[in-house]
Amino acid sequence: MKKLMIIAASLALTSLFAMAPANASETEKVYKFYCAQCHGLTGKGDGPNVTKDFPVSPRNFTAAKEMDKLSDADMKNVIMDGGPSASKSPMMPPWSKTLTAEQVDGLVKHIRVLCQCKGKQG
Amino acid sequence: MKHLRKAIYAATLLLAATAVGSGGSANAATGKDVFEAKGCGGCHYTDGPAKEKTIDDQLAKKGPELFYAGSKFQKDWLGKWLADPKPIRPLKYNSMTEDNPGDHPKLSGGDVAAVTDFLMGLTSKDVAAGKVKPKKNPKGRQIFTKKMPCSGCHQYAGRKNKLSGGRSGPSLVEAGVRLNPDWILAYMMQPEAFKPVKMMPVFAGLLSDKDMLNISRHVASFKPKKKK
Repeated sequence: MKKLMIIAASLALTSLFAMAPANASETEKVYKFYCAQCHGLTGKGDGPNVTKDFPVSPRNFTAAKEMDKLSDADMKNVIMDGGPSASKSPMMPPWSKTLTAEQVDGLVKHIRVLCQCKGKQG
Repeated sequence: MKHLRKAIYAATLLLAATAVGSGGSANAATGKDVFEAKGCGGCHYTDGPAKEKTIDDQLAKKGPELFYAGSKFQKDWLGKWLADPKPIRPLKYNSMTEDNPGDHPKLSGGDVAAVTDFLMGLTSKDVAAGKVKPKKNPKGRQIFTKKMPCSGCHQYAGRKNKLSGGRSGPSLVEAGVRLNPDWILAYMMQPEAFKPVKMMPVFAGLLSDKDMLNISRHVASFKPKKKK
């Protein structure tokens, strides 16, 4: 019985790990499709829209020190409601009618991977 | 005799009208043949409704869908563009890194008019006619450049005709010559009918109908500056 439980737990863990990369790759796809236009494919804020005339500097997601000042909720709000919701530029669009809640949660996690930071807690 | 002359005249007129009418559709049918023979369907699909459901579906496309081309484009512009295609998108279709190579095939001779007729016959019931009158619209301009991020992704002719705006979306320089003003509004209001998966955010539900009308009027007013 003990052996059976160990096998079942191993299987459950294996399938959990098998799922994680699939979700992560789906989220990366979402990021590259929507966000990279301004934030760049690697998150450095250097997407193709950022010409010398671009009125603001899109956030560099790899700047850990700056990104650490934001909580996950802060990021989620700006993604959903756009820059002006956090007194930032309207160049950051509101994505609430485009992305699902699950996609937004995934993007927040992906941005945390890009910044290698945990962000403001609580 | 007088009646006979009148009858012959009327019959001639009727025949001429029939010939013009059927000539138009015959030309569109020829255009469809040309479209297929030239392999245009390899990059553009012409049978609606929209097929894309996922990002992968969109990324698999090599060019924009054309199943509503007749509602989207202006006929004069389309004919000229098919004969001498200039890039509309600064970037290669679906790319974030590569510039548009500007290598769209050209049509020549009678193929231009035939394919134009074929594409202009592909219309959408989702585009209501006569809603948008292009004109300078300060509110639309303010939304386009300040309130919303339209100019972040679309090029346009700014002050003193200076090329401004971002590069990830199609250029809107002289969009008033290219696009049907009513299509601009329809696309803003129900994008899913045309492009269910696209890089542009959905603004329907965030902007009021009036604001979407103002933006459409503003974009439809993007025309070549008159030479003084």
